[in-house]
Amino acid sequence: MPQSTSQPVASTPADASELAARCEGITKEFGSGQTRVQVLRGVNFSVRLGEMMFLVGPSGCGKTTLISVLAGLLTPNSGSLEVLGKSLNKLRGGRLVDFRAANIGFIFQQFNLLPTLTAAENAAVPLLGQYVSFGRAVKQAGEMLDRLGLQAHKHKYPSQLSGGQQQRVAIARSLVHSPRLVICDEPTASLDAETGQTVMKLLRELAVTPQRAVIVVTHDDRIYKYADRISSMIYGRIIDVTLQGGVASASALAGSPN
Amino acid sequence: MYRIALKMLFGDRAKYIGLVFGVAFSTLLINQQCGIFVGLISRAASVIDDTPEANIWVMDPGVKNLDTIFPLRDTELARVRGVPGVEWAVPYFKAMATVRTQTGELESALLIGADDNSLIGIPARCVLGDPFDLKRPDSVAVAKDAFGKVWRGEEISLGKTLELNDRRAVVVAVVEDLPKFTSSITFYTRYSQALQYTNNGRNQLSFILVKAAAANDPEAVARQIQAQTGLQALTSDQFRKKAIQYVIDNTGIPVSFATVIGLGIIVGVAVVGLMFNLFVLENLKHFAALKAIGIKNRRLLAMVLLQAAVVGLVGYALGLGAAATFFETAGRSPNFRGFYLPWQVAAASALVATFIMLLAALVALRRVLFVDAAIVFRG
Ligand SMILES: Nc1ncnc2c1ncn2[C@@H]1O[C@H](COP(=O)(O)OP(=O)(O)O)[C@@H](O)[C@H]1O
Ligand SMILES: [Mg+2]
Repeated sequence: MPQSTSQPVASTPADASELAARCEGITKEFGSGQTRVQVLRGVNFSVRLGEMMFLVGPSGCGKTTLISVLAGLLTPNSGSLEVLGKSLNKLRGGRLVDFRAANIGFIFQQFNLLPTLTAAENAAVPLLGQYVSFGRAVKQAGEMLDRLGLQAHKHKYPSQLSGGQQQRVAIARSLVHSPRLVICDEPTASLDAETGQTVMKLLRELAVTPQRAVIVVTHDDRIYKYADRISSMIYGRIIDVTLQGGVASASALAGSPN
Repeated sequence: MYRIALKMLFGDRAKYIGLVFGVAFSTLLINQQCGIFVGLISRAASVIDDTPEANIWVMDPGVKNLDTIFPLRDTELARVRGVPGVEWAVPYFKAMATVRTQTGELESALLIGADDNSLIGIPARCVLGDPFDLKRPDSVAVAKDAFGKVWRGEEISLGKTLELNDRRAVVVAVVEDLPKFTSSITFYTRYSQALQYTNNGRNQLSFILVKAAAANDPEAVARQIQAQTGLQALTSDQFRKKAIQYVIDNTGIPVSFATVIGLGIIVGVAVVGLMFNLFVLENLKHFAALKAIGIKNRRLLAMVLLQAAVVGLVGYALGLGAAATFFETAGRSPNFRGFYLPWQVAAASALVATFIMLLAALVALRRVLFVDAAIVFRG
């Protein structure tokens, strides 16, 4: 499986059918009156299926807010937003939740695993959310954990795992239901440099497929090499998109930080 | 998701135990206190229940309970017997007497005099001796529980003698009666013998016990007796209710029990409510993550309700079990005799447990339903 992703993804401009997400003129403000803060100031951003897109920028520039909007967790004040061919602005309530359940995988900085569930059970949660039976969901999650090298840890609880292992469980959870968009917020920020590399390498190998887009928010430049493209954000706007050709370089550089 | 809800609950052992304990404590307190309360106040009518043969009690119009009695004239017996629908009517004597125990201490005792011929008024269950020996002079039957109070530490036996109001009495039978409200020692004897013990001559009729003829409605017969004699005539049920109501209206017993029960409920609500909220609060970021991942509010709601239901059910079962154990073990002591766990109380406490959990869940649910899934990305 890992080999299947080691082909460079075409970097030619894609037509609309290849876009995983596209937003134009997105604004988002919090609060009102005196305490009003405008966080997104007209964001244009797109990510294609088959690529790993990094979203980088200084702390507080609005990265997390942007991916929250992309995931349908926050409603933008204005702008158009299309994710996997669906206009998210038009989805409401339960439909939006269902859309997330079926199409989006999440990886968080703090792992956010349930402490009272085993690794396999944690990874199975998205399947349970889609009414897959408990036994089948845990089995499927276990297979995903195998691919992440956690064979021996399936039945351990998060507290028995290292940070890197926990984030690998989180990767399994983000992929187990084969979502077409995976959103990661600072996935390596709680890990030491070496573990961060391992986790990113696994994420790169397992998450990037031709039918899926991966967005990684980070400000850790030591992992930039895993990106296909990098969008730089400053003060509520995307100011620059650079090509990184992440796949080839990632394979070459993996294991040797910087 | 239900499996996950349960694992969340059981995984947090300390809080789970605390929650279950809170519900169990409330349930135990409610059942134990209500059981004792019901047992205690029904003692106010246990004299009636000891005499199931009669279904109407006739008494002075001013009588409100079984303890404050104004005697009727002997001639009333014949008048009551003359009322249509009366199958039989017998005299019944009830008064307090003083006994000197074998150690020389004085105790007050209840003395009941039953009809000389029929012995109606003597409890039916005889554990030793023969009630018909009461026909012998100076003979009494003693309640089983009372025996040990007069003859401390002794096995029940016949032939014991004692001073009853300064007059000799011989025990010829030991009977099992219901515990009384006002006294813990009861002696039974014939009506005429009872009059001798109390040194009062004529017109000492405490009650007239009546059995309504089978074809007649006891209530109608009671009304008829009342109309014809001017006395107060109540069916056993009416009198039981009246006597119990008297205790409820005129003693602090209901208030003190209600206070304890109320405290039990308040502590239950407070402890369980706070702890369940804490449980949900600690899991809030996990609920938010589940929301982000795509679990709908409806299912999160079901998860929380399931958690509450499990806590409620387990806590209730433990509390009820503990209450039942109490009545099984402590209930064997004579002081608690006749106390039991009425199913109505068990059912009511199930409602209370449900109420506690619903209240706790409702407050907690608000948090879960309104938590912003977007917090998953925030530290
Ligand atoms: N719910 C909110 N209410 C008010 N301000 C917010 C809220 N969420 C984020 N912000 C503000 O928006 C800005 C951007 O935050 P964020 O998107 O988390 O930035 P980044 O992820 O790039 O560090 C910050 O100044 C933050 O304080
Ligand atoms: Mg952030």
